[in-house]
Amino acid sequence: MRRTLKISLITLSLLVPTIAHANVQNTMSAKPATPASVLQPNRSPLVSFRILFMTGAASDPKGKEGVAALTAAMLAEGGTRALTKQQIDDAMYPMASSFGAQVDKEMTVFNGTTHVENLGRYYALISQMLLDPGFREDDFARLKTNAINFLKVSLREGNDEELGKEYLYNIIYAGHPYGHHNTGTLGSLERLTLNDVRAFYRDNYTRANMVLGLAGGYPADFAKRIETDFAKLPVGKEAKARFEQPKVNAGMRVEIIERETRATAISMGFPVSVTRASKDWPALALVASYIGQHRSSNGHLYQRLREARGLNYGDYAYVEYFPRGMFQFTPDPNLGRSSQIFQIWIRPVEPQNAHFALRAALYEYDKLVRDGMSKETFEATREFLGKYSNILTQTQGAQLGYALDSRYYGITDFNTYLREQLAKLTLEDVNRAIREHLKSDRMRIVMITKDAPSLRNALLANEPSPITYNSPKPKEITDEDKVIQSYKIDLKPEAVTVVPVERIFQ
Amino acid sequence: MRFLLLASLALCLPLVGLAQTTQRKLFPYDYAIDDLPNGLRLITVPTDYPNLVALYVVVQTGSRNEVEPGKSGFAHFFEHMMFRGSENYTSDQRDTIMKRAGAEANAYTADDRTVYHQTFSKEDLGEMMKLEADRFMRLKYSSEDYKTEALAVQGEYDKNSANPISKLYEVLRETAFKKHTYSHTTMGYLKDIKDMPNQYEYSLEFYKRFYRPEYATIVVVGDVTRDRALALTKQHWGDWKRGNYASQIPTEPPQTEARTAHIDWPSPTLPYVAVAFRGPAYSDEKKDKAALDLLASIAFGDNSELYQRLVLKEQKVDFLGPDFADQIDPELFIVLARVKDPKDVDYVRDQMLATFQRFTTEAVNPAKLDATRSRTRYGSAMAMNSSTAIAYALAPYIALRRTPETINKLFDLYASVTPEDIRAAAAQYFKDQNRTIITLATKASTATNSDGKEGRN
Repeated sequence: MRRTLKISLITLSLLVPTIAHANVQNTMSAKPATPASVLQPNRSPLVSFRILFMTGAASDPKGKEGVAALTAAMLAEGGTRALTKQQIDDAMYPMASSFGAQVDKEMTVFNGTTHVENLGRYYALISQMLLDPGFREDDFARLKTNAINFLKVSLREGNDEELGKEYLYNIIYAGHPYGHHNTGTLGSLERLTLNDVRAFYRDNYTRANMVLGLAGGYPADFAKRIETDFAKLPVGKEAKARFEQPKVNAGMRVEIIERETRATAISMGFPVSVTRASKDWPALALVASYIGQHRSSNGHLYQRLREARGLNYGDYAYVEYFPRGMFQFTPDPNLGRSSQIFQIWIRPVEPQNAHFALRAALYEYDKLVRDGMSKETFEATREFLGKYSNILTQTQGAQLGYALDSRYYGITDFNTYLREQLAKLTLEDVNRAIREHLKSDRMRIVMITKDAPSLRNALLANEPSPITYNSPKPKEITDEDKVIQSYKIDLKPEAVTVVPVERIFQ
Repeated sequence: MRFLLLASLALCLPLVGLAQTTQRKLFPYDYAIDDLPNGLRLITVPTDYPNLVALYVVVQTGSRNEVEPGKSGFAHFFEHMMFRGSENYTSDQRDTIMKRAGAEANAYTADDRTVYHQTFSKEDLGEMMKLEADRFMRLKYSSEDYKTEALAVQGEYDKNSANPISKLYEVLRETAFKKHTYSHTTMGYLKDIKDMPNQYEYSLEFYKRFYRPEYATIVVVGDVTRDRALALTKQHWGDWKRGNYASQIPTEPPQTEARTAHIDWPSPTLPYVAVAFRGPAYSDEKKDKAALDLLASIAFGDNSELYQRLVLKEQKVDFLGPDFADQIDPELFIVLARVKDPKDVDYVRDQMLATFQRFTTEAVNPAKLDATRSRTRYGSAMAMNSSTAIAYALAPYIALRRTPETINKLFDLYASVTPEDIRAAAAQYFKDQNRTIITLATKASTATNSDGKEGRN
């Protein structure tokens, strides 16, 4: 909350563009001859595309981690057979349009928006990009190096918060198809060839895997035309891939990433068997909102760690993957997954407070699991979420994205679904869901800090970690601090490891 | 659902035909400006996006107004204090109300402005206006809360600190500006942030100076009528007392020599090069800023020859882009590149410099200029795709000129800029003595012989 405006150019350039509002009609078809579609025609002068392929990093063959992302990059940021990247950029330039790719474990989405006046020209470009890619050597060299530098430099050495979150997923999903960063690993990226990309494209960019998402003021016969054009993709097998929950051993584990940095970033979480398709999802979404609504001053952790104690800039919780959270207020759609984790994000704290902050977060989390939510917090959070869903789907592009996700999860329109489910939800449902899904003895914790051995020793010794403030605190806080400063974290020596940053994403 | 169909129908009217008509206004929405006797301005922009209202309060103060030594970052810090309670609502009560409203609420600070923004359901507008007015007119926080919030601000500095670009901008500004307050970033220096807990009294003074109706503009965009917004503004904000403080911002003397600085970064990074020239201030009347805005895209944007050469063809750079903000006072025209191999830093810098030099003598291609104008217009139309997005796009212009009309004037100016205007503006501003170059690289991996190794100056 409360931010300075200077967002770095580089940072922005690394974001996948997301786009533009108005949800009128959903149609779905799943005939094998033409790709499935989610169509939202309306009278807006803007036309939004979200062309989804049900494939992603979880489909990277073993030893070829990163090929899904590199393939999507080759389509969205490389030339076609007829046009170089430069020629595509030249053609897009006066339209102020672009076509970006977002790759997650099970979904790869290509998205872009254009003004209806430019629709013909724009579509001619993007259809060519997806259907007739150039797979040129110079694009491959550039995009492969970008992927390597993203992992090695931007993520590993320039953004401790995102590093902590992504590494948390890596360790929870170790040995699982979700177990590597969506961009790949440094080792595999070095080995990838253009033929790997070609093969991935051939096997995964199929009609069976494709869902056409289209919204805006496009002509009546436009969707049909796209479906006909995309019928040239191979049929492929129907995408049914759903992934098992990861096998995570019992007991808490901490991995401390050691790197030269002034603060200490903390992320923690464990797998939950709940997705948007599950009956308990609304209950868990409500719990996450209560304990840590993203970028809101209303979350409980935020109130206790930041507002009351000034430990850091913010503290949040999630039941769905939410990458790039430091740059945006609302999540991008089309990150649908068949396995999710419950996650707490403690934004960087001063190193001398890291042990205390970890204890404080666990103390609050344990309290939630033990006591559940109160009637008052339940009702307030329910009211919040019911209205807030309108904010999540403010734009045409977001509505389209959510509709595609609803199709994936097999639920109705997201806003209607959430409103109806919240109306039915009771405090008892929520507290039962907490007991059932959040009572985990498998918490995984990632900390990023400069002096990792000292932190490890302090954690293992369960040393008291008293905190001092720059101003007097109410007795309620100082009393609670006495409990938190000695709050026992049960860790065996083998459960706390120090990882040099150079080893991450290898 | 039907509402949305109607909404879109209405929305398409001002936008369709964008390419054909240059005289069409770029800010296509009808709006109303109402000035209260106390100096407060209300701008209401009814849209057809249903149910939601975006409420933005734009205060014309920012890090530019931090004139006293040791106070860098204070405008931003003060923005945080605006969430710590007011006479009629404690911070907790405020949070409870915001939560019930399902609001997305936040704030940001920049050089020239501090913007408080929230989006919520239209039925909550009355309560939101009342709540908002209370903190702007009757802010109240304890010195204990004040000191705690100072720690959260340091937490913000800390979370930014892993990114080398934060440091690069800090050094660039202090190198390029010697007197003007643009010499420090909005976040401020760490030493000043660490001293913030001791500045409680100053915070009261800061509030008294700038949180006054003559500095503030309320922008209401969405499912709202002018009558409703105006009635609420009069009811809740009508008694706000005008102030009498005017900042004396030091004028930056002309730069007389090229400047360089280098940053040794303690952890692995790819090297960065920033080349900056002193540029003009925002203007919707004089052509020089508009001309250089267009050139920024033509010469250094994703579609520029330089980008195509360094990023696509030679592949020596993985990021290249211009940054030339609209500011009250003369601002830097910055081009930033991230270089893949430290040995190429000098080459990349020289290519950037040659491109600056080239456009001081060579007129831009007229077709490229037209394509850039088209891009600017379509880009703007596509960015305003919700009530929140419209309010967000308006806020910087409201801070500069207090009216949406300035957007239309600016785009009329873009339409009138000729290749010769651009060449003349480039020749006027891209002189060696106006230049600052900053390089940043991992300690010990820096390229040799870079003239960016002189240390800060």
